[in-house]
Amino acid sequence: MKKTLLAAALMGASFSAHAVAPGGPGCGWGNLLFEGKSGLPMHILATTFNGTSGNATFGMTSGTNGCDTNGALTYSGESLLGMNGVMEEVAQDMAVGEGEALTALSVSIGVDASDRAHFNSLMHQNFASIFPSQDVTAAEVMQQINMVMSQDQQLAKYV
Amino acid sequence: MRTGVLCALAGLFLILSDTVAAAQSREHLAREPRWQALLHINPGATLRDRHRSYVDDDNFFLSDTGKDDPLAELNASIEALRPAQAPERCRFPARYRFFAEHLGWEESGWQESAPFAHCDEYMEWRQSVQANRAVLVFPAAYLNSPSSMFGHTLLRLDQTGDGTVWLSWAVNFGAMTSEQDNSLFYIYRGLAGGYPGRFTLVPYVQKIQEYSHMENRDIWEYDLTLNQEEIDWVIEHLWELKDINFDYYFFDENCSFRLLELVEVARPGTGLLDKWRFAELPVNTVRALDDKDLIEQRHYRPSKAQELEALVAEMTVAERRLSRRLADDPDLAQSAEFQAYPPPRQALMAQTAYRHVRFIHRKEERTEDVAKRSFALLGLMSRLPTATPPRVQPQRPPEEGHGTKMLGVSGGQWGADDYGQLTWRMTYHDLLDNRRGFLDGAQIEGLGVTLRSTESQAVKLERLDLVSIRSLSPRDTFSKPLSWYVEGGLERAWAQGRRLTRYVQGGAGLSWRWQGWQPYMLLSARAENNSAFSTWITPGGGAEAGLLYNTGAWQWQLSSAGHYFTNDEYRHRSRLSAHYALGRQHGLRASLEREGWRGDSDTGFNLEWRWYYD
Repeated sequence: MKKTLLAAALMGASFSAHAVAPGGPGCGWGNLLFEGKSGLPMHILATTFNGTSGNATFGMTSGTNGCDTNGALTYSGESLLGMNGVMEEVAQDMAVGEGEALTALSVSIGVDASDRAHFNSLMHQNFASIFPSQDVTAAEVMQQINMVMSQDQQLAKYV
Repeated sequence: MRTGVLCALAGLFLILSDTVAAAQSREHLAREPRWQALLHINPGATLRDRHRSYVDDDNFFLSDTGKDDPLAELNASIEALRPAQAPERCRFPARYRFFAEHLGWEESGWQESAPFAHCDEYMEWRQSVQANRAVLVFPAAYLNSPSSMFGHTLLRLDQTGDGTVWLSWAVNFGAMTSEQDNSLFYIYRGLAGGYPGRFTLVPYVQKIQEYSHMENRDIWEYDLTLNQEEIDWVIEHLWELKDINFDYYFFDENCSFRLLELVEVARPGTGLLDKWRFAELPVNTVRALDDKDLIEQRHYRPSKAQELEALVAEMTVAERRLSRRLADDPDLAQSAEFQAYPPPRQALMAQTAYRHVRFIHRKEERTEDVAKRSFALLGLMSRLPTATPPRVQPQRPPEEGHGTKMLGVSGGQWGADDYGQLTWRMTYHDLLDNRRGFLDGAQIEGLGVTLRSTESQAVKLERLDLVSIRSLSPRDTFSKPLSWYVEGGLERAWAQGRRLTRYVQGGAGLSWRWQGWQPYMLLSARAENNSAFSTWITPGGGAEAGLLYNTGAWQWQLSSAGHYFTNDEYRHRSRLSAHYALGRQHGLRASLEREGWRGDSDTGFNLEWRWYYD
């Protein structure tokens, strides 16, 4: 069995040469949309061995993105968007018009279940203004979402 | 006077018996399943730390002998937690609650903030971590990494209950590794318990990203039957485990094992840890929970690869090709060819193209080109009608798969010799075993022994497989993975006579799938050590080609592999095998084999009954 692991390790090691720690980029989260992620031997091994790469939190230390300092355990829309990869998922869901990431966003903003379908279609219609470029940041996206919602009769109350 | 003496004696007796009763009741309390669970006392489930605490951290104990002595720890804890505003209450809220219940401290006070009013940090945390449902999460195996078959498990705490688990917390037990360690060192320490294991609370969305997006693992989620009170026990106990170290052992004291302990805290006396557990495989954790009626519902969360596959399956061949080209050049959306399709079909192609671009580039650094194409495709999708992605049909869940160990009895003929044969495999699955609950084209076997007895000779070792991993990942219009394999051990092969040879072998190549058919071709290298070859290690190169076919309970494989060695020896082996699954835990396998070498060859056949267990 040791050999299995050894073999797996060697295979893993040969697939890629450089390693980057998984986890968020911390403060200054520009260009998060379509950021590259690094899936690397240590990362693969870490999961194989159920490892965490020493950067784990207990939900008490630094919130979700290495930038919050208030130790928030619940997400605001912006802190959710600021997490690795979430903005990309939200962008996809908005372009499609529905999805789990979009639901999570609406819940974190506080949109009632009864208004969620309307929220989804509003986001879908306004995709181009919410995501004006591939270099948009989470803060800008959130600002646009608030703007779009504030101009909508049904959703203005959540802003 | 006499009365006085009697009274004094009676009084003394009463005091004594009272003390004795108190001591007895404390002894009794220390044996309570929940106290034992809160201290993580090993009830005999693994070899290490039997009847001691698994926790390897002095900060977890209030008594110097706490690791070995639950009673001493109980006494010390009562002592420390009883005074109002005791600082220890802020560290051990679950212990406090245990005493509150059993010793009548401030009845029902643990539910209110009063006992912890001085614990700001804990109170803030406790109020944020609310959960009304506990879910066991099992990211299943993924192709191209068969070792992931061993999987991982974590616990999810849901706090919203209204349609989104992206906001839930995941309780993860893992080794605290550091990126400085190199891979080999990592393996060694992982096996030997050199890393501390810790519980962490992480956003579940990060786990989804990690598994279903980065690694293409389907995720199975099992709602547990724990009620609110039981879940609160877990949450409060998690706080006690904050920054507490357990030694991490890959085989037994791993993520899955520790989760069983958490369930034991929630519902003591489940008996989850009664059985001897040598190697805790996640799939067996699921089975154990299921056996104890702790699972009420199962959800399937397909990986990104499965979702993409489902989209591709919706399209015609022409649409697939156009969509693939669109991924490289989003400007094609303006072409007459694309515009000729009705908008819903355009939406399908656009979404597939976008997901394809994300899928193949998601592990790379961001580049301007990919970002631009991705963004253009997103824009295109947003202008087209809403395209609900097709629901991915779940495969059979992993816990419905065959047992992890296998015993095989077979008989056959090799050359002119009849033989009987016994095979035992510690773990886990080969390409021909019952595919229910497993990935097609993935094999991982660890430690297999085959003993053979012929009429003329005593029992001999026929083969010893240390490891055999195969990943045959099919290629299609959108996905171009490599197939690979690696194996090593001892086997009997021809080298101036049939003899035991030690070998390592591996290779890479291509595979495709069309309905039940899966052809593959691999180039391979082999290094061999045996008593007939004059060099200590004899390297060789070769190739293998094969065809897998499955239909219903039948699995077929035709394969042919050959190797040239540097000492000019040559050997090839061809095999036709058929496996019929007789239900979940039994199978019949027949194979016909031909081994050839320079100048001659041998032929044999084998018929085997396989029993899977555990």
